Formats: sequence, structure tokens, C-alpha cells
Amino acid sequence: MELSAFIAVLTGGLVLGVLYSLMAFGLALVWTTLGIFNFAHGAFIVLGAYIAWQIGNPDAFGLGFLVSAVVTVIAMFVIGVIFQFLLVKPFERKPNIVLLTVITTLAGATVLINLINVMWGPRSKQIVLPASGDLSLGLFRITANEGLMVLIVTLTLATLGWFLLKTPLGRSMRAVAQNREAAQLMGLNVPLLYAATFGLAAALAGLAGVFIGSIRFMTPNMGDDPLQKALVVVILGGVARFTSPIYAAFLVGIIEAFSTYAVGLYWTPAVLFVLMIAVLVVKPEGLFGRRERSV
Amino acid sequence: MTALLEVIGLSGGYEPVQIFKDVNLTVGAGECVGFFGPNGHGKTTLMKTLSGIIDPWAGRIVFEEQDLAAPGERKARRSRNLNYDILVRRRMDPKKVARAGLIHVAQGSTLFPDMTVAEILSIAPGVALAAGRKPEPDAVFSLFPRLKERLQSKSRFLSGGERQMLSMACGLLAVPKLMILDEPTLGLSPKLRQELADAVHAIRRAGTPIILIDQDIEFLRGLVDHLNVFDHGSISRRLTNAQIPDHETLMAELFGRRQG
Repeated sequence: MELSAFIAVLTGGLVLGVLYSLMAFGLALVWTTLGIFNFAHGAFIVLGAYIAWQIGNPDAFGLGFLVSAVVTVIAMFVIGVIFQFLLVKPFERKPNIVLLTVITTLAGATVLINLINVMWGPRSKQIVLPASGDLSLGLFRITANEGLMVLIVTLTLATLGWFLLKTPLGRSMRAVAQNREAAQLMGLNVPLLYAATFGLAAALAGLAGVFIGSIRFMTPNMGDDPLQKALVVVILGGVARFTSPIYAAFLVGIIEAFSTYAVGLYWTPAVLFVLMIAVLVVKPEGLFGRRERSV
Repeated sequence: MTALLEVIGLSGGYEPVQIFKDVNLTVGAGECVGFFGPNGHGKTTLMKTLSGIIDPWAGRIVFEEQDLAAPGERKARRSRNLNYDILVRRRMDPKKVARAGLIHVAQGSTLFPDMTVAEILSIAPGVALAAGRKPEPDAVFSLFPRLKERLQSKSRFLSGGERQMLSMACGLLAVPKLMILDEPTLGLSPKLRQELADAVHAIRRAGTPIILIDQDIEFLRGLVDHLNVFDHGSISRRLTNAQIPDHETLMAELFGRRQG
């Protein structure tokens, strides 16, 4: 493997890592806070992509990329809150909530995907990104659109980190995630914080959808692959800190890039899942995880 | 004199197991009420019900003449094929209880393991501020100077005693009108026990009404106006401070005198 090829593959992996960290962050946030696994996360990504296409693309409303991204994030937050109210909240006090919500979120995902199929049709579309050309730094070379994605995602995650660590609302969200009963005794508004967490996760999924819809062609069924990747990232990395899915996302992105180069696109998911199983066998709480779950 | 907290005919537990039944309790303004009783007889469950963590099955909880629990009996689960939880509204809201000023410091709470002491103390006064009460962080720090040294530690690295101090500090920052302390000295070394007991005395001297659960009868004797002996899910006896017997006598009365 030549150095230039190595650098190119590595760059590709890092860019993928940025995208995966955005996808996995929301999933991990819901898992740690509400204690459930949201199987509709992939559908949220698809829905976000389609909303952004509808708002921003010249063939539709044509309001431009920036407006479409902002509208998508806000719309997905609202959709996430509604989704949580309808499909998760009714089972909140059930002891078997984890299993119940696997079924309800899967059902919700199916409904969303079919609605997208009805509204936008099955033909593939693509979001047009504003930038053009390439950026290069030494041997590292990415397209300007990838650069834009890296910039926006980094800013988003940094803002989110600041929000969770420094603001009262973010700290309250972490408190509820770490000990629900103590949070209730402190007088925190737990139902509101749950809704906000789910909405936030959906908004992040929507933003990820905007980028996936621009990098690849989008179809209503494209959500399965991001959901799988986010699942692998969350399980591989563990959820001990809210930064662990981010490390894992870069690891998965780089491994995916190199395995695509070495064994080809078709075997890459197999490589990732074998790796995930190996990690589960050796360290069930994830590579960067601890035994208890918390943000 | 109107009562600060009045509990009338309260029953509850974890469905389908009833833990306590028909509890009547009155806490007057400025009073300190003690609870003493064997482990596993429902003291903590009763306190969790008072603070709204679990729903009461029947009875009223009146705090400052405000009904905290929804009126009426809890409906029986008629069909196991229906999702009972969405058909029946929760009867109590812990947020409303905390806003009203009834603050529960839980027994041996781990609080929030991955948050630092400073972070936890920063969100603790939220409920007081929302209800228009003014927290006094300086008074809390002078009561627990050790917390000031541990501000940047995550709470899972705190010792049991420090964690209990943090729990009580959080409770105080919520500016309680009535504070429930559930075994504040549980599982601590004698030196730390003394430190925490002193803190409870200080809170009492500051005039905050307290419901205190403890297993140390001498500690209770020094603090409470009334002592409720709680066993088998109800208050079996109510004693004034002067009537509190020594540990041996009380144990003998609860469990029967040892033969021979």
C-alpha cells in the first residue's frame, strides 16, 4: 500500500467517523437517558434527509442548503418529541419497557418509511450541497462539501458537549440519565427532560440525514445501513461517557475505510459485525465503557 | 395551630404487594418527628410515597393545606390485557411535592455517579428558585466544609459519608419547608456518624422541621418531639420525647424479651 493511498483511505475513514459520530450520538443519548433502544433512529435519518431535500433542493422549494438544514433540525426535534409521546411514554412505567419499545419503535419506523414512500416516491434523490471543489492539506485531500460536513458536525458536537456539561438544562438531562429517582426527588421535570432528550436525538439524526442525503443517493430504505452502523458504534464504544460513541465512531469509520480497501465493500459489514461480536465477548460494556450506564 | 403536613389514612406499596396501610401522621410547624422500626417494614416505602416517587393506593397527603395526592382510591387493575398505566393518571407528581417544599433526602443515594460535586450542587437549587424560595449556599458549605474540598470530584469517587453530606446539601439547597431524612447515618463509621448527627442537629436548630428515620434511639431522643414506632406497615405506637424508652426496652417490646 503506497503512502498516498494510505492517506486517502485514512482521510476517507476520518470523514466517515465524523458522520458516524453524529449518527451514534443521538442513539447513545436516548439509550443512556431513557434506557431504551430506538430502532426508529434510521428512519429519523431518512426523514431528515427528505425534509431537507424538500426545503432546500432546486426541484422542490429551493430555499438553499442552510435554511433546509435549520428547518430539518427543528422539524425533527418536534417529530422526535411527538414520536416519544406516542410510542415510548405510554410504556414508561412498565417493567418490560425495553422489549415493548423495541417493538413500538420498529413499528413507528415502518410507518415513517412507508409515509416517506407515499409522499416522495421510491426513486432516488440527492441533496445538492453549496460548496464545490477540493480542500487539501499536504497529502490529505477532501472535497469542500466533506469539509463543510466536518466543520458543521464538529461545531454541533462541541456545542452539545458544552450544553451537557455547562448549562443547567444539560446537567439536568445528565442527572436524569444517571439516577432517575434522585432526579425526581430533586424536583427535576423528568417527563419534560425525557421528551427533550428524544427530540434532541431525533434532531441529530435529521442533521446526519442531511449529510447522508448529499453524500449518497437517497431512497426511502436507506435508513437501515446508518442504523446498523450507529448500533455497531454504540455497542463497540459503550456509553460510559457521552464522548465514548465519538471515539468508537472514528474507530469504526477508519476500520470501514481500510476494510473496504482490503476486502471490498461487500465484506465490510461482516468485518464490523465480527469485530463487534469479538468486543462483546471480551468486554461486554464496550471498548470505552464501564459497567454501569450513564452519560 | 395548623399542621404543616397531615397524612390521613395513607396506604401504598409496590403493586400487587401492599407495604403499609392506613397511616395517619401529623407534623406541626417547627416540629421534628422521628421514625423508628425494624428494617423491611416499610419506612422507606412510606417516605417514597410521601415524596411522590411511588403512587399511594388510598388516603390523603396534605402539605400546607394543599392536597399533594389526587383524591379518591386507586382503581384496581381490572384487566391484565389493558395498559393500566396509560388509562390511569399518576396520582402524585414528585416535582409538585418538591416545589411545595417537602424535600426527601433518600437513604444511601448514589446521586449522579458521573457528575462532579460542583455540577450536582449547581442544579440542586433549581426547584427552590422555581418556587420562589431563596437558597443559601454559604450556610450549606459552612455545614459541610468537606464538600468544598471535593468540588471537582465525581460523586462516584466520594466516600459514603461525603455522599451522604452531598445528598443533605442538595436537600438544603432546595430550601425545605419540611425535610425527610432517611437514615442519614446508615453504614458510617462512628466519627462520621457524629459529624452527620451534628449537621442534623444544626439543621434542627435552624428551625427546619424534619421527619427523621434512624436506628439509633439515643440520637432520635436528642432531636425529636415525637417518635413513631413503625412496624408491620403501620405506626404501632406514638411516643412523646419523654416516653421514649431505652434501646433494650424498645427492642424487647418490638421483638419479645429474650428467654433466659
